Amino acid sequence: MLDLVFGAGLTLPIPSPPVGMTYPEDVITQEAAIRTSSGLTLRVTPLVEEGALVRQGAPVACLRDTPDVQFVAPMPGRVARIALQPGRKLSEIVLFRETGGDVLTHDVADATTEQGLRRLMQTAGFWPLLRRRPFGRMPADAEHPAAIIVMATDTRPFAPDPRHALKDREAAFARGLHTLTMLTDGPVLVCQQPGPSLFDRGLGDGRVRAVDCGPRHPQGSAGIRIHDLAPATIETPIWDLHAEDVAALGDLLETGILPMTRLVRVAGSALREGRLIHTQSGADLRELTRRIVTPGAHVLTSGSPLDGHEANWLAPRHRQVTVLPRQNRGKSPHWLVSALTRSGLPTPVIPTAALTQAFGAALPAAPFVRALSSGDDEMAIKLGVLSLLEEDLGLADYVLGGEAQLAELLRGMLDRIRTEFAA
Amino acid sequence: MTRGLWNRETVALMLLAAYGPLALFWLLYGGAEAFVRLGLALLVLAVWHLIFMLARAQPPSFAAVATALAVAILAPEGLGVVRLALGISFGAVMGELVFGGWGRNVVHPATVALSFLGFGFPGFAWPVFDDPVVWAAIPAALIGVATGAMPAAVLVAAVLVGAAGTGTGVLPDSVWPAAGLVLVLLVADPVTSAATTLGRWLNGALYAGLIILFATGWSGAAPVQIAVAAALLTSLATPLLDEIALALWIAQRRRRHGRN
Repeated sequence: MLDLVFGAGLTLPIPSPPVGMTYPEDVITQEAAIRTSSGLTLRVTPLVEEGALVRQGAPVACLRDTPDVQFVAPMPGRVARIALQPGRKLSEIVLFRETGGDVLTHDVADATTEQGLRRLMQTAGFWPLLRRRPFGRMPADAEHPAAIIVMATDTRPFAPDPRHALKDREAAFARGLHTLTMLTDGPVLVCQQPGPSLFDRGLGDGRVRAVDCGPRHPQGSAGIRIHDLAPATIETPIWDLHAEDVAALGDLLETGILPMTRLVRVAGSALREGRLIHTQSGADLRELTRRIVTPGAHVLTSGSPLDGHEANWLAPRHRQVTVLPRQNRGKSPHWLVSALTRSGLPTPVIPTAALTQAFGAALPAAPFVRALSSGDDEMAIKLGVLSLLEEDLGLADYVLGGEAQLAELLRGMLDRIRTEFAA
Repeated sequence: MTRGLWNRETVALMLLAAYGPLALFWLLYGGAEAFVRLGLALLVLAVWHLIFMLARAQPPSFAAVATALAVAILAPEGLGVVRLALGISFGAVMGELVFGGWGRNVVHPATVALSFLGFGFPGFAWPVFDDPVVWAAIPAALIGVATGAMPAAVLVAAVLVGAAGTGTGVLPDSVWPAAGLVLVLLVADPVTSAATTLGRWLNGALYAGLIILFATGWSGAAPVQIAVAAALLTSLATPLLDEIALALWIAQRRRRHGRN
């Protein structure tokens, strides 16, 4: 209660109809696609032909530079279309579902050593679920992170509760956490809402620790937590992954089959009712929302209203689908008004309490925003920009009315820093 | 697209809402003369904003109304139209517009205008205020803090140091009304006050410290003159205070994590 009065962060007044059901239903869509997270480019080699039958969990493509890292089919099906952009960059690989198809079982005997474990995670299609900071890409195949952050909380608006997703999967979650300690010499930190413990204390020689965080966004945002607990730098990368994926890793190690479904919340003001479902990664958003949208034009967004993007397929790490009414573009503004709005970009940001709260009071917000908009890389690195990604600034962008375009500025700065340090 | 509302103009409107009670009481007690001064200040600022909009494509801002109000309330009396217009022009152009408009300035344009008028025309008397106008600064500060447009730490630090000064007898009571008004109108501006938490505490404390210094050491100065001079020096020192606060914050993180 005290946290709700004095805690950092903001509560957003975004409308959405309530979820009709109490238990999540299983929905496997007829079509699904393997795609990259928004803003990332991956150079891949397809391992199957168009029209081929694939089992669930069978490799469909692999990274061009590290063939061990494979993308697998999220359901048994037939390869419908392989769309690559010039330079063999993955656009999307669309699959049609085949009922009664087979499931590929991996050999887990080698997973007791670190080498074997990495190989299993890469060939079973688990590797793309990992994300490293700085820069937010998939980690290199042999990288040792300084710490691993497991997000067992999600404070974004309409995010499904990870505790709900972990119900009755405690053993798999603990197994996954224990396994993660093999990949790092540092701690494995589980960020959660205050409540009953999700795992036994002392797991992994005490290297797995629980960290409580507040109820309001962006307190449960991975970047803000990493900034607070274990800042990422060029030399000390930090991995983050979702708690449900850790449980999936636990299941993979037990059965040799990587569970492909995840808990997804469908929400938004263009719906007649909300939905809570278990669906596969890359699910078809049109099918998930088909009979519950209100009449009229709407936008299908993979991700939360703050950091989502318009898409046809559920993005690899997303657990939310947001459906918003499509805004009419309206009349184009007067030439003087549009000239004035475009002239002084990026628009000045006035330091207010709202801005501080939009960063969860975790860092000096106004100097950080000034460093971002003036392109001062050194100051931004000192203030912790390497721990952050676009999704962590979604709330700040929302609060500032979308004029400051902090997410784009951050991506530009991260790309610039990456090329500078790669050179 | 769903979006929040805290862009530049919203903050300017929130500041204006905070200054509402102050402006109301000042106009009630000032009568026709106050209206004329406010009107003149608004007119001069509007002209300059228009010029910069047409020449440099800088969008005008509602913050100009807050600047006009501060200048009209605090400027020396009996200056006449030409001198007042000259002072406001200097403050608005050199203090704000040449930096790219409100949000990119380092000093408050009203502080620059008032300092210019005070140093340029020392023969004119500084204003004194009726009690209700002075008390109206308190709701102004409360609205500003509640909407988040004014930094609470600056106000609290200044009042604490000022109260300590009064308690120990170094700060005479006669300075409080002018110092309080200047604190709300000029020092607690969100753009030109410090932007870090520690910097804000230092900022408020420095303002009150300078008030105490000038009140004891500057003989023959009017309270408003003291307060405006303190506000000018404080806003010039603000980037330094922010730099100190950031250096301490970065050093503390490096000690805690071994990296940053």
